[in-house]
Amino acid sequence: MMGKTNSPVAIKKILIANRGEIAVRIMRSCREMGIETVAVYSDADRSSLHVRYASEAYHIGPSASSESYLRMDKILEVAKLSGSDAIHPGYGFLSENSMFARKCKEAGIIFIGPSAESIEAMGDKISARKRMIAAGVPVVPGTTEKIEDEGKAIKTIMGIGLPVMIKASAGGGGKGMRLVRKEEDIMPAIRGAKSEASAAFGDDSLYIEKYIESPHHIEFQVLADRYGDAVHLFERECSVQRRHQKVIEETPSPIMTPAVRERMGACAVAATKAANYEGAGTIEFIVDDQLNFYFLEMNTRLQVEHPITERVVGVDLVREQIRIAEGHPLPFTQRQLKMNGHSMECRIYAEDTDQNFMPNPGKITHITEPMGLGVRCDGYIHEGYTIPIYYDPMISKLIIWGRTRAEVIERMRRALFEYKISGVKTSIKYLLKIMETPDFRNGTYNTHFIEKNEEFLNSKVKCDRHCEDIALIATFFEHASRVKHTKRVAPHERTVAVKGWKHRGRRTGMQRL
Amino acid sequence: MQIEFKVNDRTAVVKEISREGSLVTISVDSKIYVVDVDKVSGEEYSILSEGKSYNIEVISTDDPKTYRVNTIYFGFDVSVNDAESRYNQKRKNKASDGTTDTIRSPMPGKVVKVLVKKGDHVEKGQTLVILAAMKMESEYKAGCSGLVSKVAVKEGDTVEGNQLMVVIGKDVSK
Repeated sequence: MMGKTNSPVAIKKILIANRGEIAVRIMRSCREMGIETVAVYSDADRSSLHVRYASEAYHIGPSASSESYLRMDKILEVAKLSGSDAIHPGYGFLSENSMFARKCKEAGIIFIGPSAESIEAMGDKISARKRMIAAGVPVVPGTTEKIEDEGKAIKTIMGIGLPVMIKASAGGGGKGMRLVRKEEDIMPAIRGAKSEASAAFGDDSLYIEKYIESPHHIEFQVLADRYGDAVHLFERECSVQRRHQKVIEETPSPIMTPAVRERMGACAVAATKAANYEGAGTIEFIVDDQLNFYFLEMNTRLQVEHPITERVVGVDLVREQIRIAEGHPLPFTQRQLKMNGHSMECRIYAEDTDQNFMPNPGKITHITEPMGLGVRCDGYIHEGYTIPIYYDPMISKLIIWGRTRAEVIERMRRALFEYKISGVKTSIKYLLKIMETPDFRNGTYNTHFIEKNEEFLNSKVKCDRHCEDIALIATFFEHASRVKHTKRVAPHERTVAVKGWKHRGRRTGMQRL
Repeated sequence: MQIEFKVNDRTAVVKEISREGSLVTISVDSKIYVVDVDKVSGEEYSILSEGKSYNIEVISTDDPKTYRVNTIYFGFDVSVNDAESRYNQKRKNKASDGTTDTIRSPMPGKVVKVLVKKGDHVEKGQTLVILAAMKMESEYKAGCSGLVSKVAVKEGDTVEGNQLMVVIGKDVSK
């Protein structure tokens, strides 16, 4: 497998085992490469953009993910039926499911991603840590063995040094996680974590890591081909998080220095090679204020925030994924990759930020998308579309590029003002407040940012009276003309029951001031 | 013609005074404006007032008397305050007299936790039920203080949208 290139294959048709914005994004690259696309859809997604954008589309089941997008059997059936050479899993759903990767291989279908073995190796946190230590990648000081015995746990913790984070070794998502600062809290925390882990994952074994104060979450994008070659495409700063969910990502990181970047990049590449990785992946690090960095975990798939790397490095990551899966060697060396300018992404969610960020599904009545230099909007919704309740409430990703960070922040503000979505509540105004928060503007923030600035972020700015009056004037004209129009309609027509949108369409077609 | 509107915590009367071509003299309460109005598209208005340019989106909602109105920096819910809507508001106020509260699920989901039972005394703002929907957990709180008169769901239940979950005070859920 060293040096010599096996003849690459040419993939002609790809089934995208996903939905929403990422399915559309993947299909765009496929179209550019002359590759046919196959969409799969659930009941709720019949009119969704990914279905209409693809060359072929097949129904795979009821709306619930467990009966559609997570059904490996149905997806493989469609792959065979449509004659797809490859499957792209996107992110979420089956993208990190090693059994699915294995089944694709067994069915003779190329899985656009790493091998089942790599997925498994990096999916098990404890085994991943061991592998990293062996590769010389710094890891968060902690245990390398599962902790089952309480007495052993205390000894280990005192060895690592408080404060520590107790985590479930079988899973994540905040379950089975406890922060311990004081010695007397150790026992209750261990018991609590064990019982939560047991309930959530059926496995109560824990591992323990040193808790890094003021942590930054910085990740590196990597690409690796099947010939053992790997490169990194620099970092993404993802510390603006709410309840462990990323809200804003940017690159380069405002705290990074060229020297640290080079060291972290080298570690990311070493980690990728240690995992025998093939494809696109992300190495997540936790970094303290002194820029000491530690391996946290590896995401063995394409990530939501990949577009900011694409903007700054000038590489189409989906295209590279496909080329790697076809068996081509990487088309660039590390030295050839450069960062140009600054990029930031805001995730736009259908949620009510005034009501504890409760999801706000519903029908989109109006969209005005921001445009102009350096603005990319990766979405999939249209006017009249109802956001389904079965999947996560992400509407789109707003990605901004600029020559400097300051330029990007102002451009993001401008774009967020321009972005008008009616019918559902969105996180746009909350994101605007983040753009105005001094800690963010100065680039001096870490994962505690949202907590620390909660008051400012939730404060309301009142519109001045004059502006409100102008809005009322416009509303007056709109309403007045409708009232006039209704009066003009002949009496017999008034008794006809007309559906809402059609009715509105007729009226707006006849507007006159 | 004049129309009374409600926006935020304010009611205002807008009255057209006179018109000359696209130039309209119009008052909002006691303030008089002379504006140039142009309807640009189905939902967009361009208003020029003392040389300043405003682009306003006036978007219909399911309720023919309520609009979602966007300026470049702000968004408002504006509703027409006529006799019918004043009557409806009075009826609504009477129903929620501060002693009863019916909590329904806003969307389909799964009940993660039920924190109260029938007969419990709760305070306004107290969390009653936790629902998981769209990959997130949301808390549903009491709108008023009182005694829980009905708990219609239990942990692990799947609920539909607008399904009754908890009633505080007199049970008017029928």
